[in-house]
Amino acid sequence: MSAAGNPVIELRDVRKAFGSNVVIERLDFDVGKGEIVALLGQTGSGKSTVLNIVMGTIPADAGSVRVAGSDPYRQFARLRGKLAVSFQTDRLLPWRTAVENAEIGLLVLGMPKAKARQVARTWLDRVKLTGAGDLYPHQLSGGMRQRVSLARALCVDPELVLLDESFSQLDHVTSQTLRADFASIAREFNKTCLFVTHRIDDAMEMADRVLVLRPGAGIALEEGIDASIRSSLQRRSALHDKIAAVMGAEA
Amino acid sequence: MAAQVSGKPAESAREAVPVATVQTESARWSGDLVPTLVVVALLVLAIQVGSAFLPPYVMPQPLIILQATWEVLTADPIHIGITGLRLAAAVLFSMLVGVLLGIIMGVFPRLRPYLRSLVIIDTGIPALSWMLLAIFWFRDPEVRIFFILSVILIPFYALNVFDGIRALPREWVDMLESFRPRRWQVLRYLIAPHIVPYILTTTKAVIGYAIRMAIFAELVASAIGIGSRMSLAQSTFRIDKVLAWTLLLVILNLALQAAIASIDKALLKWRPEAAVR
Ligand SMILES: Nc1ncnc2c1ncn2[C@@H]1O[C@H](COP(=O)(O)OP(=O)(O)OP(=O)(O)O)[C@@H](O)[C@H]1O
Ligand SMILES: [Mg+2]
Repeated sequence: MSAAGNPVIELRDVRKAFGSNVVIERLDFDVGKGEIVALLGQTGSGKSTVLNIVMGTIPADAGSVRVAGSDPYRQFARLRGKLAVSFQTDRLLPWRTAVENAEIGLLVLGMPKAKARQVARTWLDRVKLTGAGDLYPHQLSGGMRQRVSLARALCVDPELVLLDESFSQLDHVTSQTLRADFASIAREFNKTCLFVTHRIDDAMEMADRVLVLRPGAGIALEEGIDASIRSSLQRRSALHDKIAAVMGAEA
Repeated sequence: MAAQVSGKPAESAREAVPVATVQTESARWSGDLVPTLVVVALLVLAIQVGSAFLPPYVMPQPLIILQATWEVLTADPIHIGITGLRLAAAVLFSMLVGVLLGIIMGVFPRLRPYLRSLVIIDTGIPALSWMLLAIFWFRDPEVRIFFILSVILIPFYALNVFDGIRALPREWVDMLESFRPRRWQVLRYLIAPHIVPYILTTTKAVIGYAIRMAIFAELVASAIGIGSRMSLAQSTFRIDKVLAWTLLLVILNLALQAAIASIDKALLKWRPEAAVR
């Protein structure tokens, strides 16, 4: 199921508790190179916590975490240039224009200013924001802001993209086009992607593989998704129901 | 991790708006122009009426005050320049040192309690004590004035900048850190632009206070500058000149406020104008 070679993300028997609240236990999963994997779970099941562990913001209490061959928390700096995150909220810096926000990762990675600006503009075009580059975040709509944040993540050309519910706050049409745009970009540039959502439809739309996270436990269900499932209404809804049952909630 | 900026857990934080989204000073000023003129006219009228009933050494006529102002402006411009320079030097120095202290407090948690106590003890020492101490400690009047203004102003900058860094949304820090920045890059791309509004607000808040302190310090510690001229005017029974200097100080304060407001506008053009109704 994952591509040949070492997986980009590898979690083994990971545990994480906040005080007495055990959020994650016995969590094992891999994400292979070029794979798009969705991590599904109810509110509070620990999805964002998993993402934080993978991006190295917080340490796991036990178990092993490898991202592109390194421990993302203890070897924090080693993932420089290898990973980018699109967060649940857009997290644009209000004093930077759209293009200045988009290029910030490139500047951090040491790309010369003029070159960074040019690359960022190209990515703004790709996420259909041509002409909006010089506007400040407060002059953009929510959907446009989310697109800038996506461009900011993608333009550093990372090996691995992490998405946290990136589209779920937008209206249906916007989120659908954005999802489609993202999936096609990710496939075109062969990005490895782990995305987190509580919306089963989002997951089935975009992912090659779906993992269902159960609170305080590990992965409760793992399903591969392919074009045949997406195109068959019947199989699609059957899978939807199965996932929903495991998640323990209608989504 | 690249930078340990103090902050609360990220989980509950929503997209945070910078704290200081207040309507800009200049916008408020232009709206207040007419009322200001009305107040000035009423004050002039009151002085005119008062001078009709009171002896001139208690309340001179407005025209006499204006004449004295002209006299002072043409005879003593050097003193205005000197006070202005002293003020500028001390404010810029305090800004620099205070911002550095604030950043150190915000970025190095281990040094924070020590610096914080130092700054807070400093704010507890009355300005008058500093003035007297300065006279004991230093001979040179320039050093005295610079010292007095600096010890008074530095804590304002340090504490406000520290507050600013504390208010830095954890979300932005995590966003930048996901790219694995160097420490200076966190400073350059996140902390520095984020604290600019705090520095400007502090400057706006302290400038009037700084002028008063400078005048006081000149009164006790120097033979030149506006403070010393006012003291001279008082000892030669020239109330018209005392009032003339006072008028000039009010104008100086307004001019500096306006200057800061326009710097504010230029630097913070990214900020949406939040009109509070
Ligand atoms: N920094 C923290 N300190 C204490 N508890 C935390 C912290 N972060 C998360 N938790 C707890 O961990 C649990 C899982 O939180 P998490 O944010 O990972 O859930 P989630 O699956 O992302 O939920 P949602 O779909 O609502 O975003 C929650 O019970 C939360 O209270
Ligand atoms: Mg979450």
